[in-house]
Amino acid sequence: MAQSIKPDMEFVRELQAAGGESLKKCFQCATCSVACPVSPANNPYPRKEMVWASWGLKDKLEKDVDLWLCHNCGNCADLCPRGARPADMMGAARNMIYKNLTQPSIIGKWMSSAKGLPFLFGIPALFWLFIWWIRSFSNGWCPRTEDGRIVFGNIFVGDYIIDPLFMLTFFGACFILYRGVMKLWAGFKPEGQVLMVDKTKPWYMHLVDVVWEEIITHKKFSDCGADKEKSSRKNGHMLLFYSFVILAIVTAVVAGGHWVGKLVPVIKIETPMPLLFPVKILANIGALMLLGGLSVLTVRRIKLNPKYQASSFQDWYLLGIIWCVALTGILAQCFRLVDVAPPAFFLYYLHLVFVWMLFAYLPWSKLGHLVYRTAALVYVRMYGRG
Amino acid sequence: MASKIGVYFDQQNIGGGIDANALVAIVQQKWGGLAPVVKAYPVLADAVADIEADIQANELDGVLICGGSPRSDWEIYQFGSVQVERVNLLEQVVHAIADAEMRMQVAVDYVNMGVVKLQKSNVPDSAAIETVKRVLVVGGGWTGLNAALEAARTGYEVVLVEKAKTLGGKAVNMPRTSPLSAPWTELSDCGLEGKIAAVQADKLITVYTGSTIAKVSGQPGDFTVSITTPSGAVEVKIGAAVLATGWVPLADKYLECMGLGKSDKVTHMGAFAAKMLSGQVNAKRIAFVLDTTMAEEFAAAQAAEAPAEAEAAPAPGKQAEEELETPKFVKEDLECLRHLRYSNAVNSVAAVRMANLYCEKMDDAAQVFILYKDMTIPGILERFYKNMQNRLGIMMTKADVTDIRENGDHMTVECKNTLLGMDFDLDVDMVVLPTGIVPTTAKEAVMQFDYRQGPDFPDLGLFDGFTDSNYICFPYETRRTGVYAAGCVRQPMTMDQCQEDASGAVLKAIQCIEAADHGVAVHPRSGDTSYPVFNFVRCTQCKRCTEECPFGALDDDEKGTPKPNPARCRRCGTCFGACPERVISFANYNIDQIGSMIREVEVPKDFRTFGPRILILACENDAYPAMDMAAMRNKPWSPYVRIIPVRCLGSVNAIWVSDAMSKGFDGVMLMGCKYGDDYQCHFVKGSEICNRRKENIAETLNRLGVEPERVEQFELAIDEYDKVPGMIDAFVEHIMRMGPNPFKGM
Repeated sequence: MAQSIKPDMEFVRELQAAGGESLKKCFQCATCSVACPVSPANNPYPRKEMVWASWGLKDKLEKDVDLWLCHNCGNCADLCPRGARPADMMGAARNMIYKNLTQPSIIGKWMSSAKGLPFLFGIPALFWLFIWWIRSFSNGWCPRTEDGRIVFGNIFVGDYIIDPLFMLTFFGACFILYRGVMKLWAGFKPEGQVLMVDKTKPWYMHLVDVVWEEIITHKKFSDCGADKEKSSRKNGHMLLFYSFVILAIVTAVVAGGHWVGKLVPVIKIETPMPLLFPVKILANIGALMLLGGLSVLTVRRIKLNPKYQASSFQDWYLLGIIWCVALTGILAQCFRLVDVAPPAFFLYYLHLVFVWMLFAYLPWSKLGHLVYRTAALVYVRMYGRG
Repeated sequence: MASKIGVYFDQQNIGGGIDANALVAIVQQKWGGLAPVVKAYPVLADAVADIEADIQANELDGVLICGGSPRSDWEIYQFGSVQVERVNLLEQVVHAIADAEMRMQVAVDYVNMGVVKLQKSNVPDSAAIETVKRVLVVGGGWTGLNAALEAARTGYEVVLVEKAKTLGGKAVNMPRTSPLSAPWTELSDCGLEGKIAAVQADKLITVYTGSTIAKVSGQPGDFTVSITTPSGAVEVKIGAAVLATGWVPLADKYLECMGLGKSDKVTHMGAFAAKMLSGQVNAKRIAFVLDTTMAEEFAAAQAAEAPAEAEAAPAPGKQAEEELETPKFVKEDLECLRHLRYSNAVNSVAAVRMANLYCEKMDDAAQVFILYKDMTIPGILERFYKNMQNRLGIMMTKADVTDIRENGDHMTVECKNTLLGMDFDLDVDMVVLPTGIVPTTAKEAVMQFDYRQGPDFPDLGLFDGFTDSNYICFPYETRRTGVYAAGCVRQPMTMDQCQEDASGAVLKAIQCIEAADHGVAVHPRSGDTSYPVFNFVRCTQCKRCTEECPFGALDDDEKGTPKPNPARCRRCGTCFGACPERVISFANYNIDQIGSMIREVEVPKDFRTFGPRILILACENDAYPAMDMAAMRNKPWSPYVRIIPVRCLGSVNAIWVSDAMSKGFDGVMLMGCKYGDDYQCHFVKGSEICNRRKENIAETLNRLGVEPERVEQFELAIDEYDKVPGMIDAFVEHIMRMGPNPFKGM
């Protein structure tokens, strides 16, 4: 007996709210599957996903590895004769996964519309304000060092405030992501046993391949097309991606210099670093690249023709939060350099709030794709598309 | 009988292809007094005033225009009551004959044939009759109501006859229908009550409900209709009729294997609409199953078993039937499973419409599945479909539905080959199957014609009972002139199409009445003033004409003498093609005329040196235009053929073939339309009848000692111009191989 199916209309409603509002317009012609430059010939996407979406087959979509092979170029939407916007539906389906994959799911719910923003912002804002308040007892709200400099560490001390808290946040997020990936991975696997006929490499070797062949080169983005709009997408994403890599390196170097420097004073690095210090130069280059990438991607999103593609809340949330991180960080530094303490401290405070938001909520945000998509790409390399 | 003919050559059209002045000299010499005026003009179209002056000065009663095809510029050469004939020198000589030396010969033949044709042609007397300006509308459903209102709006009186006690028909179950007007996206209120009220209020419309047609006799413009009403028989005079008797749903038994009639959770669209309207449906999940392959396969399997049984039982009553002199008319029930397929488009629209209505009614708490094989949305209703599919609860997929079974308190529908990329079982509370639209004319003879050929429309079996005309050229027309079909009795169609159909059929009916009033043919030879005239003195009452007329135009008396009804006639000439005594003729188209034209061709005695001569009798509706097109596209053919256009191959009388043979022609090509199930004949039966008569012709030829292979019929569609030269040249080859006609030179 064939399987019985149970359409879930509530899921369709949510999917529509998450960016797939046109999904019912699909009349199953499969132009999208043909138009997609990266969809394989065998059992291609996104038509089947469109039908599943229309039929409310939540389970099918949640376990669909193809969702992650889509790089959202929008060719399908450009050519769709019905304006069903398959690309947006695929994005919406991914948004639904960010939302529902991991616990506590309340965060996913906050994350899915602007209504959740006060909570998302409020939690770290109150928390860091509380820290600031406690610390203000010893030095006042905007203290200066004895030689009159502005040092943010005077309030937000690295050793026993920032570093432990962010480590906790970071590893917590990693743990949650790990659980999400395991769940996703289990879903990708077909029912029953998987028997590999050929020898296969271990997963981490595939991961190296994915990183090396796809992520570093942004190859899939090029496959998606090279017209002006498409290349601005690739360039913006690449700028952003590499700025993150640079800033991650900077953070690692500074943290290393701080902690290891306690044992080996030669490599000790203390913040704030002088402007001409190589690590500082690298940090500022990273910040500028971040601004560049953000600008390119934001302009691209604004210019999108709503007839073919639109931006969901998740899209704007991620762009917005990175904008906030970048601007507060850069402005805090500027005010520190021009030596105006209150705005410098306030902006640094905001910077901490946004950075925390970026990392703490990562498993439920679109930024989660950096892990989930990578996992899916590794899965496909290991097992094929099921 | 034209006795003073002006012959004009149009050099603009024949150009340097033929020497027009030489032709003038030849015609003058040959025809002398019969053709007092013979002229060539550089541009004849500019010389119309000259021709008129010639007509005045010389009292011409015939004008022969020698130039382009008669299919062009005909409106330029109209001279009141003076007969005009055309000789096609451009296409059939200049373009068609590649050998310049042969052209003159061919042209002279054609011009002589033209002169003779005029000589043997008369101006027809008027066949005008006193007409009744009243339209009968049979059927008071959506189409009938629209037709009645439309006819009344033009000022015609209307008699509306409805079988049921109330007006409205099937539309009462469709208060909100697929859109009837722009923007074609929304469900629309059909406004049936308003229509009924308007019909009842209209002073020009007389309504008979609970009534049926008992008898229709007479002819267009002058029909007498007997109506059986609840208060007794009524007789009314009408001019023409619109047949809008609609449809009945296909019997449940055809879909029994899909559960219809077996389970109360299975219904069909029509019944579902009624149930939904009366609030009897409260299912959470409904499957509309448009794929009826199951039923088709079941029927095919049954049919495979059936023949053995059929052979075992001899047809009862067959002998008894033969004994009867005139067998009583028995209506054959034409209802069959194919009606489901024909109705697929209407059911597709109905499915998206009702799925929406239901979701709307259930505040989107319902799930409706549409499982289709072919989702067919006609025309602009695509916009409607586009809008309807947007509803949350509607889920569609192409699917092979392989099983529908009861499963506890619900139904399980087994779906294979779906667009979801998997086979699945669907659990639903209710299954809705399509409704087969069976035209009422498949079940009964609605019009009860008091005609020689019987009370029903002929050959309805070809369309499984639909009273459609033949194809897109002639919508609304039926095989009974003056009766125009509209709505679902003609084709399964949606409400908007029915509305348009009603208007179309009413216009046809009015056109028909007006044509009878003017004494001209209504269609397809619109405006033709000629009509068949019978010389009863020589009639042997063989009944061939009354039986073969494709439109039942001829009634007869007890002895079998034909009784013509000119207004029913479409002027094809099939009757005179049938007549062995040649007593039927048209004033401007008759046996002697074509025979004389055949005899006018110069047939050389020496077959070897001067080649054969082959006569082509070409259907002027399709074959003749195809030949024109071939010529215009520079596809020349053999110079040994001579073409005579005929109104229809049905009008070809065997005597013409004999005439040709005795004249010395070596072969005859009969070029007509396609016949059979996909016929293209303007007169439906012409080429088919001609083909049947060919056997008689063959017999006659055998008797004469002429090989019957010298006469061949060819089917040529109007767009097959590319085949023309091949067809002609191959036949000429064939005749060359056969050698000369044994009668040649005798």
